[in-house]
Amino acid sequence: MISHPELSRIEKMLATQGYITERSIVISVFLAMQLRKPLLIEGPAGVGKTEIAKVMAQALDTDLIRLQCYEGLDATHALYEWNYQRQLLHLKMDEGSQRSLADKEKTIFGEAFLLKRPLLQAITHHKSPVLLIDEIDRSDEEFESFFLEVLSDWQISIPEIGTVEATHIPYVVVTGNRTRELSEALRRRCLYLWIDYPDYDKELAIVQQKVPNIDKQLAEQICRFMAVVREERLEKVPGIAETLDWATSLASLHFDHLDQEIVESTLGVILKDWQDIRHTQTSLSELLEKTGVISKLE
Amino acid sequence: MAVQSQNLITRKTSLSANIVQFCRFLREKGLPNGPAEEADALRAMAILPPEDPELLRDCLRAILTRSRRNQVKFDELYDEYWRNLDRAVDSKVKDGKEEKPQAKPKQKAPSIQALKSWLHGNKEEEEQTLATYSATGSLIHKDFSAFGTEELSEVMKLIQQFARMLATQYQRRYRAAKKGQKLDLRRTLRLNLRRGGEILELAFRKRRVRKMKMVVLCDVSKSMDLYSRFLMQFLYAFQNVYRRIETFVFGTRLQRITESLREREFSGALEKLSDQVNDWSGGTRIGFCLKYFVDTFGERLVDQNTIVLILSDGWDTGELAFLEEAMIYLHKKAHKVVWLNPLAGNPNFEPSVKGMATALPYIDLFASAHNLDSLRKAIKAMSR
Repeated sequence: MISHPELSRIEKMLATQGYITERSIVISVFLAMQLRKPLLIEGPAGVGKTEIAKVMAQALDTDLIRLQCYEGLDATHALYEWNYQRQLLHLKMDEGSQRSLADKEKTIFGEAFLLKRPLLQAITHHKSPVLLIDEIDRSDEEFESFFLEVLSDWQISIPEIGTVEATHIPYVVVTGNRTRELSEALRRRCLYLWIDYPDYDKELAIVQQKVPNIDKQLAEQICRFMAVVREERLEKVPGIAETLDWATSLASLHFDHLDQEIVESTLGVILKDWQDIRHTQTSLSELLEKTGVISKLE
Repeated sequence: MAVQSQNLITRKTSLSANIVQFCRFLREKGLPNGPAEEADALRAMAILPPEDPELLRDCLRAILTRSRRNQVKFDELYDEYWRNLDRAVDSKVKDGKEEKPQAKPKQKAPSIQALKSWLHGNKEEEEQTLATYSATGSLIHKDFSAFGTEELSEVMKLIQQFARMLATQYQRRYRAAKKGQKLDLRRTLRLNLRRGGEILELAFRKRRVRKMKMVVLCDVSKSMDLYSRFLMQFLYAFQNVYRRIETFVFGTRLQRITESLREREFSGALEKLSDQVNDWSGGTRIGFCLKYFVDTFGERLVDQNTIVLILSDGWDTGELAFLEEAMIYLHKKAHKVVWLNPLAGNPNFEPSVKGMATALPYIDLFASAHNLDSLRKAIKAMSR
C-alpha cells in the first residue's frame, strides 16, 4: 500500500511487531522519528495508542520508559525523588565520623541517593529510549508545564546537584483521551495523530493476526458486529482490546459462527457498562440482523 | 487577475513555495500554525519527497494540525486549496461574513410574575407546547414543563438535594486534601541533619488545594420559560450550598444576579430578581450576552479552576460570530464548559439550532436538563 521505501520499512517494522497500521499512522510515526518531535496521539480508549509507543521501542530496539499520568502527579513522581531511607541509613552509619556537616550533606544529596523517575530516567538513559507519557490529560496543568520545560530544554535542574542535561534525547509519545483540553503550548510542540476505531478491514486483519486459530467466518462476523455496536449510543464504546478478548474467548470455545445465544451470553466481554448491556440485549436481534448473522425471515 | 494567475504558474513550479503559501492559507482560514510548522513541513518534504498527492496530504496533516477538530478542518481546506489553487490564493478569505447583529424586537413580558404566581400555586396556561417528550408516571422522568403545582414542593426538595450533591462533590476533594498533610521528607532530613540524622523535627507539606469555582449563565428568554423556573430554583439552592459561584441570567442582555440569590428565602430572592431583571421572557441574544460576559467578566472570573455552566436552549437569531468567539474563549480558559439544554431531552433532538450547532464544538459536557433524572445525570457527569 505504501511505496515509499522509508515508509514501507516502518510499516514492516510495525507489522513484524504485530501492529497493523494505516497510512496516516505510519507517516506520523516516521515523521516523529525523523523530525525528532514528540508525537501526540489522541483517540478513543482501546484503539491502540499506547501500543504505538511499545512498537516504536521494539522497532528502534531501545527501551520504553513509561509514565502513567493521574491527577495530582507531581515532580517527585515524574522527575526524581531522594531515597530517604538510604540517606538516613547512611547518616546512621556515619555517626561516629568526624566529617563536617557540609561534607555529610554533600554525600547524601549525591547521585547515589537519587531515585530517578521516568522523565529523569529518559534523559539520562544510555541510548535514546522511547518515552511514553500515557494519558496526559489525566494529569493537571502543573505537570503539563514542567513536562513542557523538560521537552524544550532537555534538562532537569535539581537544586542539590545542579542541572542534569540529557545524554540522549528520547523519542516521545504522548497519549490522551481528550478528557481535558491540552494546552496550546504542548500541542504546538508535537506532531498530532488521531486514531479512530478501526474500520472493518483493519479490525479483521488485527483479529486474524492476534487470534490465528480463529474461524474465518466467526472473525468476520465478530468484526461486523463490532462495527454495528459502535454505531449505537453507548456509555463505553468497546475498543480493539474488547474485540480481541471476545474473539479469543469465542475461538477457544471452538465456535465457528455467531448466533443470538452466543452473543447474549458473552456480551459482558465487550460491554463493560450494565446499561450498555441492557440496551444492547433489547435490540440484539436488530443488531444481529444488521450484522447479517440472522436474517429477517428467521 | 492576469498578473495573479501568472504568479501562480511560477509558484506552482516549486513545491516548497506552494507549501509556504498553503500554510499561509491555513492561517488565514483560522487554522493556527507558525514559522516552526512551516519549517517542519519543508524539512519533511526533504526527507520524504512526496511521490503521490495522498502522501503529501498525510504528511502535511501530521505536521500542520494539532487537534482532531483541526484535522477535519484541514481536510476540507486542503481539498479547497489544491483543487482550486488560483481561486484559493486569490480570494483573501471571503467566506460569508456573518450578518450584522440585528436588534431584537423588545418584548417586555413580566414573566417573573408568571414564575412567582406559578410557584405560589397558580397553574394557568401551563399546557402550552411542551418542548420535550415527557414520560408519564414518576416525577423523576417527568418533563419540567409538565409539572403541576401539587408536585412542586416535592420537586424542590429533590432539586435541593441535587444541588447539595454537586456542591459536596466539588468540595470533597478539598476536604480530603486538607486532612492529607504529607510528610516532607526532603525538608525533614535537612532540618535534622545537624543532629546527625536523628529525626526530631518533622516538616510537613500540604497538598495543593484545588477549589473549583463555578460561573453559571442561565437563559431566561421566552423560549426557556417553561424551564427557567426550575433552573432558578436549582441555581438558588445551589448557590446556597456552594459559595464559590457567580450567577448571571441573560435574555437580550446579561445581568449578574449573584447577590440577589443570596437571600435567605427563595421568595425573597425572587422578589429581588423581579426588581432587578427586566428581561424575563424576552428575546434571546446568546451570542451578544456571552460575548459581553467574556469581555466584562471573563478575565476576572474564568480560569483553569472554573467550571462554566450554561443553561440555554441555544435559540439565537443572529450574532453567531459573537457566540463562537465567546465559546472559543471559554473553552480555552475554563476548566470545563458545561451546557445544559432542556430541549436535548427530546429523543428527536438534534443540535441543529444554529446557535447550538455553533457552540457545540467548544462544549466539554453537553447534557439535557428537562427533568429531574436528566438533571441528576448531568450533575453526576459534571463531577467526573
